[in-house]
Amino acid sequence: MSAATLTPGQGDDAAMKTSYWAIVWEQLSGNRVAMFGLGAVGLFVFVAVYAPLFSLDQPLVWSAEGELRFPWFGALFNRLLFENAVDIFFNLAMLLSPVCLGLYLWLQRRHAADFGLVRGTWLRRFAAVQLLLFVVLQVESFGPLSNPLHYTERVVDWKEEMARLDASPDSEGAFAIFPMRSFHYSDTDPVRTVQPPSGKHWFGTDTEGRDVFARMLYGTRVSLTIGIVAVSIYVVIGIFLGAIAGYFGGLVDSLVSRAIEVMICFPSFFLILTLAAFVEERSIFHVMVIIGITSWTGVARLIRAEFLRHKALEYAQAALALGVSRRRIIFRHILPNAIAPVLVTATFGVASAILTESGLAFLGLGDISSPSWGMTLSAGRIEGKLWLILLPGLAIFLLVSVLNLVGEGLRDALDPKLRS
Amino acid sequence: MKAYVIKRLLMMIPTFLGITLLVFVVLNFAPGRPGSANQSGDIATDLRGEQTEASYLIFREQFNLDKPVLFNTLFALKIEDVRAPLETLVDPAVRDAATKISARQQLDDFGGYAVPHLAAVVAQAHSAGQASLRDAAVYFLRKGAHQPLVRPFDPDPSPELRATNRALDAENAYVRQLRYVPGAPADEIDNVVRLWAQWFGERAERWQYSSRDKMRIFFLETRFANYFENLVRLDFGISLVTKEPVLDTLISKLPYSLTLSIGSLFLAYLISIPLGIASAVSKDSPADRVTTVVLFMLYSLPGFFVATLLLTLFSFGSDYESLRWFPTGGFRSRDAMQLTSAGQVRDIAYHLVLPMFCMTYGSLASLSRYMRTGLLDVIRSDYVRTARAKGLPEFQVIGRHAVRNGLLPILTLLAGLLPAVLGGSVIIEYIFGIPGMGLWIVDSIFARDYNAIMVVQLFSTLLVLVGILLTDLSYALVDPRIRFE
Repeated sequence: MSAATLTPGQGDDAAMKTSYWAIVWEQLSGNRVAMFGLGAVGLFVFVAVYAPLFSLDQPLVWSAEGELRFPWFGALFNRLLFENAVDIFFNLAMLLSPVCLGLYLWLQRRHAADFGLVRGTWLRRFAAVQLLLFVVLQVESFGPLSNPLHYTERVVDWKEEMARLDASPDSEGAFAIFPMRSFHYSDTDPVRTVQPPSGKHWFGTDTEGRDVFARMLYGTRVSLTIGIVAVSIYVVIGIFLGAIAGYFGGLVDSLVSRAIEVMICFPSFFLILTLAAFVEERSIFHVMVIIGITSWTGVARLIRAEFLRHKALEYAQAALALGVSRRRIIFRHILPNAIAPVLVTATFGVASAILTESGLAFLGLGDISSPSWGMTLSAGRIEGKLWLILLPGLAIFLLVSVLNLVGEGLRDALDPKLRS
Repeated sequence: MKAYVIKRLLMMIPTFLGITLLVFVVLNFAPGRPGSANQSGDIATDLRGEQTEASYLIFREQFNLDKPVLFNTLFALKIEDVRAPLETLVDPAVRDAATKISARQQLDDFGGYAVPHLAAVVAQAHSAGQASLRDAAVYFLRKGAHQPLVRPFDPDPSPELRATNRALDAENAYVRQLRYVPGAPADEIDNVVRLWAQWFGERAERWQYSSRDKMRIFFLETRFANYFENLVRLDFGISLVTKEPVLDTLISKLPYSLTLSIGSLFLAYLISIPLGIASAVSKDSPADRVTTVVLFMLYSLPGFFVATLLLTLFSFGSDYESLRWFPTGGFRSRDAMQLTSAGQVRDIAYHLVLPMFCMTYGSLASLSRYMRTGLLDVIRSDYVRTARAKGLPEFQVIGRHAVRNGLLPILTLLAGLLPAVLGGSVIIEYIFGIPGMGLWIVDSIFARDYNAIMVVQLFSTLLVLVGILLTDLSYALVDPRIRFE
């Protein structure tokens, strides 16, 4: 093979097909159950991202007295309506997603031949833009200049406004298009508490008269975020500790192993409960961090074992002989080879983090300001009302079980014993 | 074998030390100071709340909160260190409540170590005519001069201990009444200030530290040292809520928790072993598939959901009178003591049907799955083929030859299940109102009952540690392939 044939673009097509992740994807896409699970997870993500289209008390279009307004768009980033950063993040994703999708399709057509090469880069760029904008949205002020994107605005009760205009004789009434349901998840209604499901409140109302349908919709956001962020935290901790323990061995290894042993002995729920209770004014970010710092042992053990195996292999030895720095060997050479089993653990981990969070919320140790499924279930327990128990319970069950399905599928896809 | 057991036991020591360390860290570095919520920055209001203040002091002593966490350098306190927060506290220009509270806490933390400096400040401020500074200094002097009793909760105090404590109490009482109402007549204030100077003059040598004293204070007069000292003495302190020794409460809670967790573990193994065997024998049959799917679904069902649902459906659900099959919770009926012992067992079993089910079903999936794969691995092995070849009936091949080795992998699972079961019992005990360890830790967490939380954490980890040890040993016992070096 001459050097000329090694230019990128050529031969990569074949290389793509035989790369490790391509094989894994091929295996996974052949597994109907796992693909069903993946699709269902996608559906949950869809619901989470587009929740404001399904339920929000702000009209998409409002026309009255010769004035045309679009309050819904402004409301998406109004801190009085959405005080949680999680909601801001998802609202941003909702607005960005059509743009990104269009760009993606256009790129796909333009780079038809070698789209596989640029896809990863572009997906990373989309994620970077989303994150950057999110950070900008979270900043309250740039020095003396206040951030115009971080704003609070008096929330107008448009339904009341509409009723007022309809009732007044000298107005033609108002025309408005609301989202599918017109409730916000934290709107309380002291008159209508614990209402059974009806045409107005599809899933009824909870103990404070809040619409359960809206709470469940936005609860999807909370659950998914908790699962993913908490798992990311502990995967990072676990990878770091496991990698240095496995690669360096000796004192580092025995220290990390001891730490793992100590953490394993703790019934982790006790520890999580204690930590959660000690944090005053808990936000869901506290809950994520708490789950993250208590659950890293599994990942650390896995990575440690993989590193013990890989550091003795020729490629790692060769890199060492070439004078590649330790950090580079660990994170660039060995880690990509060792990370596959972590993916399986992480998928199951997302499911169990969601369970832990809803358990905490059920005990009243979650974040009171965010609409967690566990909180609704807890209200159902106190009231003894079946729909308040069944709906959030089934939602947790569905999300957890489809995540577990994906995890099982991934495990099968990664298991070399099953590969023919 | 003996060497292996000893080695395993020795290896438990650093792990247990690590556990105690972690519990200490969690309880001491967690944000939020217990019991400090009802303090304000204003001394005048706090003077009125004398009673609360006194009980808070006792609480602080009890929980060693009056001591620094790791190293105690308070013996090297200088008069400026004490004067500065006092001045902040009385400075009318400082209006920020947070600054005032933190100044107060600083002075509270100095405790008895600040007494000589406070005495000096009282004298200085009195002669300089700084009335508010003097008032504040007297206030903290009274607090600092207050000495803790020696082992106040000793159930069986010796005569010497009684005598010491009585003397301490008398002195504390004397110190307590060395006060005046702010704005009192000058001669009364003069008198109190004189008495304080006299009191301090008589005891000044108490605050003269030799270098040995300093070493002792530096390392041992700390929360860390006290914590370990108490651990070694097996003194876990008293509960903040019930004022009873937490160890006694823990022991009274254990039967409930152990019945529930050991019972559910036993039940899980009892069900999943035959289930796994049946699945492995009839591999890929419809029955096998259905079991796998059902178990998978059970595995994904959150326990608190099932528990709440079952309780609502079959116990106190307001809509279904006819379905009240099970008690609403608890471990036994109120009048259970009058029943015969068989009746008592029946009563407990009746109460435990629902909680036991909720704690068991989740572990069925993984257990039977491991049993199935373990057995499938074994069935393919040569010795099983030999057993078949020599004409043994299938029942004997599976039951006597294969299952024994197939059991090994699920034995190791026990170690991993224990913490999960103990942790899972929290929510189940909470929902069903079973007065075990899990419910107790939830209550204690809400009440910030530090000693109770500590003892539950320590004890449950110890339980897990012992469980892991037993698992390892029994594994070594049943699998002769494992060699002990």
